Amino acid sequence: MSAQAGFAAALLDAARPCPDGLVAWNGSDPARRFAVYRNNVVVSLVDALAEAFPVVHALVGGEFFRAMAQVFVTTQPPRSRLLAFYGEGFADFVAAFRPAAELPWLADVARLEMLRVRACHAADAEPLPQAAIGALLADPARLPGASFGLHPALGVLRSAHAVVDLWAAHQVDAPDLSGLDPARPQAGLVMCECDAVTVTEIPVPAAAFIECLQAGASLGEALDACSADGGFDPAAALGALLRAQAIVSIREGDKDHE
Amino acid sequence: MNRNTTRQATAAALALALGAALSMSAVPAAAADADKERCYGVSMKGKNDCAAGPGTTCAGTSKVDYQGNAWKYVAKGSCEQMKSPTSPTGQGQLEAFQEKKS
Repeated sequence: MSAQAGFAAALLDAARPCPDGLVAWNGSDPARRFAVYRNNVVVSLVDALAEAFPVVHALVGGEFFRAMAQVFVTTQPPRSRLLAFYGEGFADFVAAFRPAAELPWLADVARLEMLRVRACHAADAEPLPQAAIGALLADPARLPGASFGLHPALGVLRSAHAVVDLWAAHQVDAPDLSGLDPARPQAGLVMCECDAVTVTEIPVPAAAFIECLQAGASLGEALDACSADGGFDPAAALGALLRAQAIVSIREGDKDHE
Repeated sequence: MNRNTTRQATAAALALALGAALSMSAVPAAAADADKERCYGVSMKGKNDCAAGPGTTCAGTSKVDYQGNAWKYVAKGSCEQMKSPTSPTGQGQLEAFQEKKS
């Protein structure tokens, strides 16, 4: 193990001894200085997670959150120097974290919060004017083969739990969770509008439709994929995209002109 | 149903849906913002809408309460009536300002 790798490993594992060869500038004990640094590294990363996942933090309380986050930090330290995106793997970690198993919605709340982080830092894009989208109606035969380029900030989450309600309830100082049924399946649309990140509830089948479009499917393909779903309303799904101003381009492939 | 008929049905369903969606959401984009103004120096730490200085790019990034270069959307006309302890005028401002030392 290189000196650098040894130093890094000892930073994240308190059971390891202080790396050899360290000298303190003022002659104090390097092991004590290293312990302070080790603590600061972990605490600052736990703080970063607490800021990125405020609702997860609120749902489990500070003590539980910090203990859980510390395990994440020491097992999955940052891979990038961009701390803003630290926590990409946090939702999966939470899903597998046994002590949190009693809160089955916790991982999806973390997923929603990560979508918000991504939306916040996503590139800007100019939404298409509605008239340009409306122009597609002039020749409906072109519609099935057309696909939408969607806004980079747009995020979609489908959950077996009421993640949007849980998130929304925690946007005030004294959350009121009475009347909230966490077992209600819910889907959310995340978008950056006017520099603020918004979260809107959308019908679950609409979320599936939008996920298809995000993956590059044409309107016709996305409709086929979703029409098996009972209760799918394509107008609601398209309306959600329009209201979020999430459609930034229209592509028309050649495959529809057969 | 042959392939062509299926395709026509899909096209018709999409046209119907898109038409309905467009008519439902035909709100001019600017309308939502028309009655708002950017107000500097009134947001709490981390609650700004945007612009919290170098190295930060978006909402929720202000580091202190009443940060002078962080703004919040507020109802038009209300900004300069809001208290801001860091502001030289004592109220929120429509432009970013240097916080006074308390």
